Amino acid sequence: MTASSFRLFGVALFMGTAISVSAFAQESPPSSDIGIMDPAASAHAFPKRGFSPYAGRHYPTRVLWGDEHVHTGWSADAGAFGATLGPEEALRFARGEEVMSSLGEPAKLSRPLDWAAITDHSDAAGVIFEIRDGNPNLMADPLAKRWHDMMAAGQGGVAASEMIIAQSNNKISAVLKDPRLALTIWEKNTSIMEKYNEPGRFTAFIGYEWTSNAGGGNNLHRNVIYRDGKAKADQVLPMTTFDSENPEDLWKWMAKWEAKTGGSLLAIPHNGNLSNGKMFALNTFEGNPLTREWAETRARWEPMYEVTQIKGDGETHPSLSPSDEFANFEKWDQANLAGVPKKPGMLEHEYARQALEEGLRLEQTLGVNPFKFGLVSGTDTHTGLTTAEEDNFFGKHTGVEPSAHRWEHDVVKTSQVIVKSWQMAAAGYTGVWATENTRESIWDALKRKEAYSTTGPRMTVRFFGGWDFDAKDAQTRMPAEAGYAKGVPMGGDLQHAPDGKVPTFLVAALKDPLSGNLDRIQIIKGWVDAKGAVQEKVYDVAWSGDRKPGADGKLPLVGDTVDVANANWTNTIGAPELITAWKDPDFDPALRAFYYSRVIEIPTPRWTAYDQKRFNIKMDAKVPMTVTERAYTSPIWYTP
Amino acid sequence: MKRFWKEPLVHFLLLALAIFAAYGVLGPTSAVRPDSIVVTAPKIEQMAAVFAKTWQRPPTAEELKGLIDDFVKEEIYTREALALGLDKDDTVIRRRLRQKMEFMNDAGVDALVPTDAELEAYLKAHAAAFAVDPMTAFQQVFLNPQQHGDRVEQDAAAILAALQATPPADAATLGDATLLPSELPLTGKPTISQTFGQEFADALDKVAPDQWRGPIMSGYGLHFVHISKREAGRMPALSEVRDAVAREWTNAKRTELDEARFNELLKRYQVTIENLSTSSAVQ
Repeated sequence: MTASSFRLFGVALFMGTAISVSAFAQESPPSSDIGIMDPAASAHAFPKRGFSPYAGRHYPTRVLWGDEHVHTGWSADAGAFGATLGPEEALRFARGEEVMSSLGEPAKLSRPLDWAAITDHSDAAGVIFEIRDGNPNLMADPLAKRWHDMMAAGQGGVAASEMIIAQSNNKISAVLKDPRLALTIWEKNTSIMEKYNEPGRFTAFIGYEWTSNAGGGNNLHRNVIYRDGKAKADQVLPMTTFDSENPEDLWKWMAKWEAKTGGSLLAIPHNGNLSNGKMFALNTFEGNPLTREWAETRARWEPMYEVTQIKGDGETHPSLSPSDEFANFEKWDQANLAGVPKKPGMLEHEYARQALEEGLRLEQTLGVNPFKFGLVSGTDTHTGLTTAEEDNFFGKHTGVEPSAHRWEHDVVKTSQVIVKSWQMAAAGYTGVWATENTRESIWDALKRKEAYSTTGPRMTVRFFGGWDFDAKDAQTRMPAEAGYAKGVPMGGDLQHAPDGKVPTFLVAALKDPLSGNLDRIQIIKGWVDAKGAVQEKVYDVAWSGDRKPGADGKLPLVGDTVDVANANWTNTIGAPELITAWKDPDFDPALRAFYYSRVIEIPTPRWTAYDQKRFNIKMDAKVPMTVTERAYTSPIWYTP
Repeated sequence: MKRFWKEPLVHFLLLALAIFAAYGVLGPTSAVRPDSIVVTAPKIEQMAAVFAKTWQRPPTAEELKGLIDDFVKEEIYTREALALGLDKDDTVIRRRLRQKMEFMNDAGVDALVPTDAELEAYLKAHAAAFAVDPMTAFQQVFLNPQQHGDRVEQDAAAILAALQATPPADAATLGDATLLPSELPLTGKPTISQTFGQEFADALDKVAPDQWRGPIMSGYGLHFVHISKREAGRMPALSEVRDAVAREWTNAKRTELDEARFNELLKRYQVTIENLSTSSAVQ
């Protein structure tokens, strides 16, 4: 233990002892093998909290921003659309450098990200040179040395030319037995991740996307994120969908991987909205009833869910949450990934809020909650450029990188379904509360669900749950101090309500300096009622200005300062910061529940408005021009 | 009739027949015949090895049969597809081939090891990319204009006076509560800008140290700042940034090599580019 954590432990122990000592004061003092403890005499062993409020602090104090879902030209579909950027360029872009897009447009983020996971499809990570004879390193060396010498002598061009001819005529025909000799794209990938992983400055996660489109386009994709480095990652080849399309087989692969390497993996599913009801189906992939074991396995491997990205927002759907006036946001709800139209009964098993609710119900019957996930987001960009800001959006794939007519291209087109590229959302990023910018620290935060999703802006959001938060906590200068001391952060659990107590929450949000002010903070509660039915309710808990809820209980809208023609807005409405302590007014200690926070910005121009202005065009009237950006925190669960 | 068998031409033809027959029986194996497929033992071992590296166990007999059958199917489809010319004008195939050409280049570049002298020279030539940012350590007291309305100027003056008094008031008790950090240790300007915004970071540069000053503006409101330490930007020594410089040097070499090699290839081709008709719309 470090000195500061020992001190904190000491303080906690001292306080614990002090409380128990005073409780026992009327009875007998605590005794032990060496006699009766005298608090006065032993106080020196437990130093009091020091002068500096920052010493001894070991909880996260800074949000680390990243994208857990980036494709480069090394994904076959990205390459097919024209992406020529590889993982190297993608990481350089994420780190804040200027990079040329595949179409030759200079591109740069407004601010660097702190971390990224390059998740190219595993189907393309296989062997590229089937070298079947001897040791390819032997073969490479003489050439490399000759080439190097010629380069040094200033004859690089000639050397290169020779090499091409030599290799094209070189018939390699011997036997390969050991896969270590096969040069794989996977190994090239992990090498690049190592090159750009700089602990303390930027974290490059090793990862891949397992891209299951089961049953003709039902999106069951998962991003596998490694806690470890190349040495472990290279030991096992990623699972492809040629191996299997069943997520249960992916979990088996992950278990074998951990057993073999001693490392750690997690998987993040996305796009339930394109799974035609399969993502959160109430039976297994093969159609069998759910079991406790299945629920345990899913919960163990999938602690996070990617709730928003370019191909639509997956928090909830207006038909499932009809009284939620913010539910109709960037919806892709017509079909699955192959354009097969949705049928009734599918939507209920596609969105995060309903899945979280269903998870509570399943916990009652199975004993384990399989859908106990936190919320993260990424872009799923296939351009290599992780852009989620409205004024800097490079689109889903190279065919829809900025150009005057990109807004009207088809993204999905079948006889029954058309999705236009103006429907792309410029989203999203993940904010992680980790103590340091390293793979281990960020991965651990994702595993314990102390992270949140945003639709692009980098708002700072704190969300704590406990039994004793009050208005004073909302006024302190260090709300996190109160938060961690009196409760659990996002992703945490509350259990067995003490008599007469109801869950209280401390929630705070700070706007992104480059984005709009904040409109409001909401807390969304889902629970299973006494009859066993799932319920949900959205509470407005903090808001800007002096608005008051109307007779219908709804808070008036904040307004709209967006000047569409100039793709501009003013921060004259909303507030830069909101904080509050809130108490559940409808709590029943016998019922399972979850709470998560949603922070909503004032309206700002959507990427379509920026395109309209920059290319001097006019889009169809039905194309939205404004967007209300939001953040979704991971939930806090209550178990009776 | 006997004369027929004595003709030299007949002898030659018979000899030719004999040679062909012998070749057919004794000649190279069926691998030469275009309609035969051989799944060699080494290939099977390789497939099993790849399976084992994915699943951490060897394939069962049934699984192996599946892999082999699938390979045969793939081989047949590949040959038929090539015969039909399906590899032509296929974007995915073309990009994969391009990628393989680019990977071949990489193998050579990765083998290059830069000397210290080369890295020093690169560091000098690209100083801006490796420069250590100027850093500032400071405390700040936040004033939320929305909470003070018309009184904001008076309140600001009062706070500044309190901070500049001798002895100075405790900064922690003044100003409005905020999620923004009240103190940052030596921090680079880009990070300050990420937290407080560019406006604040720029204004902070102009503030004199060692005294409470302000207020300066950010997108959040007003801030009084006390700069306790400043470190100018500087050029690091090679030992501090060796890995990063080596990485950038290698990348630069790769680009150089890519271009040199492509230019060599280009010399072997005659490229003709047609004119786009002026009547078609330009995207």
